[in-house]
Amino acid sequence: MKPAPQLLVLTLGQGLAGGMTASVGFLASIGGLNHRLALLLLGAALFCAILGGGASFFHMHHFSAARYILRRLKTSWLSREALTTGLFGGTLFLLTVATVWGRLALNSPLYIALAWLVTFFGLVAIFVTAMLYASIPAMLSWHSPVTVLNLLAVGLLGGSGWGGFFGMVEHGPSGQLAAAVAIFLVVTGAVKAFQWHVFSLARHRIRATTGFGLPFAPYRLQDSGTTRAPYRTQTQVHPVISDGLRLRMAVVTAIFLTVLPIVLVILSQIAAEWGWMLGAAISITLGSIFERWLFFADATHSSRVFFADEPREASRVAEPVMRGRLS
Amino acid sequence: MQLTIVTDLNKCVGCKSCQVSCKEHNTSGAYGPVPDAHPRADVDGMWWNRIVTMESGAYPNTSVMYLPKACMHCYDAPCVPVCPTGASYKREDNGVVLIDYDSCIGCQLCMWACPYGVREFDEEEGVVKKCTLCIDRLEDESLPEVERQPACVQSCPTHARTFGDLDDPTSEVARLVSTRQGFGLLPELGARPSVHYLPRRPEPPRVDKETLEKVMAERYE
Ligand code: SF4
Ligand code: SF4
Ligand code: SF4
Repeated sequence: MKPAPQLLVLTLGQGLAGGMTASVGFLASIGGLNHRLALLLLGAALFCAILGGGASFFHMHHFSAARYILRRLKTSWLSREALTTGLFGGTLFLLTVATVWGRLALNSPLYIALAWLVTFFGLVAIFVTAMLYASIPAMLSWHSPVTVLNLLAVGLLGGSGWGGFFGMVEHGPSGQLAAAVAIFLVVTGAVKAFQWHVFSLARHRIRATTGFGLPFAPYRLQDSGTTRAPYRTQTQVHPVISDGLRLRMAVVTAIFLTVLPIVLVILSQIAAEWGWMLGAAISITLGSIFERWLFFADATHSSRVFFADEPREASRVAEPVMRGRLS
Repeated sequence: MQLTIVTDLNKCVGCKSCQVSCKEHNTSGAYGPVPDAHPRADVDGMWWNRIVTMESGAYPNTSVMYLPKACMHCYDAPCVPVCPTGASYKREDNGVVLIDYDSCIGCQLCMWACPYGVREFDEEEGVVKKCTLCIDRLEDESLPEVERQPACVQSCPTHARTFGDLDDPTSEVARLVSTRQGFGLLPELGARPSVHYLPRRPEPPRVDKETLEKVMAERYE
């Protein structure tokens, strides 16, 4: 489908903000938070949340109806997303104000509880956004729990990467932060690999048999009704990316999102230099952008069955049947 | 009540009368919801009913099929619960799925949720649109009784399309579906489409046995 820039910025901003808030909660819990570090992390998280929230606003195309957005909380994950993302942004803003105000001891139980509460709202917001994608059966690539794991893992990884960098600059507990980044790197790598497998299965679920009631594959699309498929008015069937581009993007994503950061995190610990950790955080952020682009661009929608040929594969079932019929 | 259309795939000849009459009906008059805002830049514009042409099977046993595809007015329409503003809704009295353009925000989530690719985004108005089952004709009491049916049904030259209430077991559509093994598209996705198609009856191959054996030998041995 067509990757909308607004959705890229929304999901990335929301994930990074949630991950950075989690870093604040983690650092406060282990007693490694100082005032400047808290301000840096919360400021960056707020910036990402505002960026994501702003982008989501512009994904609407008919602003005067925006006032109805919470009408279907009972059934619509988009209504719930508007509520939970708003709640996260609001509480993150209040936590930042409380930190700037400076009256709350950063390692006090109250501050730790507040930081984890905001983190909880952040994770709920990411979960709800992920469910919006995962709960649509027609989006064959996304209709899986892996989508939820993926959005959570990439968000936490990005946030912990920047947490690790700010932690090193401000003399926080760099060893523990690096360990947290390393854990998320491994988890994200595994989830991503599994999700690409799910995407590949989805591409092969486009079936003429159920889309047309046709008994025998292969089929060839001669005419989708107009001079070309409705790529302009139906963005969910936007042309699939080529195998080559898919492979190139997957390799680039794997390098930037996991391989390079692992090397840089190890180097940062050996050299005790924050420059390496900055490199890791930037690499993870770039990797997340490539990952998210591929997540949208490579998603297969069931309606593609009416606008493109199914993958060419010899049918092991139909061939003997055809032979039997003809002999 | 569930109003619907049943299409006989044996009778459809792919003339696209229904496709064109849908567009004609829904763009005619002072105001029409199907836009053609940039006819030169985008020759296709928006269509609520598309006739897909498919060639199936392997040579020499091939055939061509035409599939008129518009909103299926699903029983469990997945486009309805995902809509955050309630703009997409299913009418309780007749089962028609409609969109309230005034409360649609244009998020396009319903386009993703619909398995069939029949919802279209209007960039000019920033809202999503689709087949209304010609609800304006069905409920227009100023029209003569015979005209109170969808434009695409009325215009079909081969009478491949039949309109009626699928929930009424005595209706023509219910009879066709039950006696002729009417089927819905993509049943595995759980939308329970009310629009049904009557399957094509297989035709015997029209090539002689010798040619067939020669081709099969070339291909498979
Ligand atoms: S595009 Fe409009 S009708 Fe579709 S889900 Fe969004 S608000 Fe509802
Ligand atoms: S065909 Fe698509 S748009 Fe029509 S009711 Fe079913 S899900 Fe909704
Ligand atoms: S019922 Fe009306 S709106 Fe729907 S496809 Fe037919 S002509 Fe178009």
